[in-house]
Amino acid sequence: MSANLQPLDCQGALDRLYEYLDGELTPDIEQAVRSHLDACARCFALFNFEDGFLKFLEARTRAQGAPPELKRRILRSIFEDESAPES
Amino acid sequence: MSQSDDDRRTAFEQEALPHLDAVYRVALRLSGDPSQAEDLSQETMLKAFRSWHQYKPGTNARAWLLTILRHTFINQYRRTKHHKATVDVTAVEHYTVFPDVQDADPEGTFFDQIVDEEIYQAIDALPNEFRETVVLSDVEGLSYAEIAEITGVPVGTVKSRLYRGRQLLQKRLYDYAVEMGYLKKAPQ
Repeated sequence: MSANLQPLDCQGALDRLYEYLDGELTPDIEQAVRSHLDACARCFALFNFEDGFLKFLEARTRAQGAPPELKRRILRSIFEDESAPES
Repeated sequence: MSQSDDDRRTAFEQEALPHLDAVYRVALRLSGDPSQAEDLSQETMLKAFRSWHQYKPGTNARAWLLTILRHTFINQYRRTKHHKATVDVTAVEHYTVFPDVQDADPEGTFFDQIVDEEIYQAIDALPNEFRETVVLSDVEGLSYAEIAEITGVPVGTVKSRLYRGRQLLQKRLYDYAVEMGYLKKAPQ
């Protein structure tokens, strides 16, 4: 896969922005993006901003859980469920 | 109650029920309404319990449950749902926000000042396809492959929806932050 080890330009790195931040790239392409970011302050700053945005979204939205009463309601409906399994 | 019913309940409680929080969160963002989200979650869990024999133990229970949730939502709610004002998706340009903040706030610290309610409203305002993709990725942390499986589209479509959905969301939150005075709008 040596073709993938070609140095990436700015556009090449930007095209993989979210795949990089989401950990969805193959190791060699991930390394190529990282090398570009090491060498390009402008792309580094943008990736850093986008990374912060995703972490902000995660931190602020993932804590919300189901109401305790809902869990009790579901357990009750399952316990009382008399229907035969659907096939 | 037979032994197998007992086993089914035990397995369900151990493997499916721990994902109720995820099911509820996604239901809430899909429906945009807490009481609908509760009904959707309950229906999803009951359907999952009734078709528990189709679930292969040890596989991805969360993705399986979210697939059932999505089908339930589409069948019962989406058609009757009030059509939201859609965003002009063609107006999304590359990296709309960063060029505007790179001098004043390149780390994006203004995001921290935004209240939770505004974040949820911004997510809820996204067009359906973008909203479900962003929620599955950014709220639930699922992989592209899992999202592709749940939403029934190729991974490439997940990528483009995620890109546009995130950029739309970011732009809306940025506009809100400017409006609230959390940061100054960059001179044009």
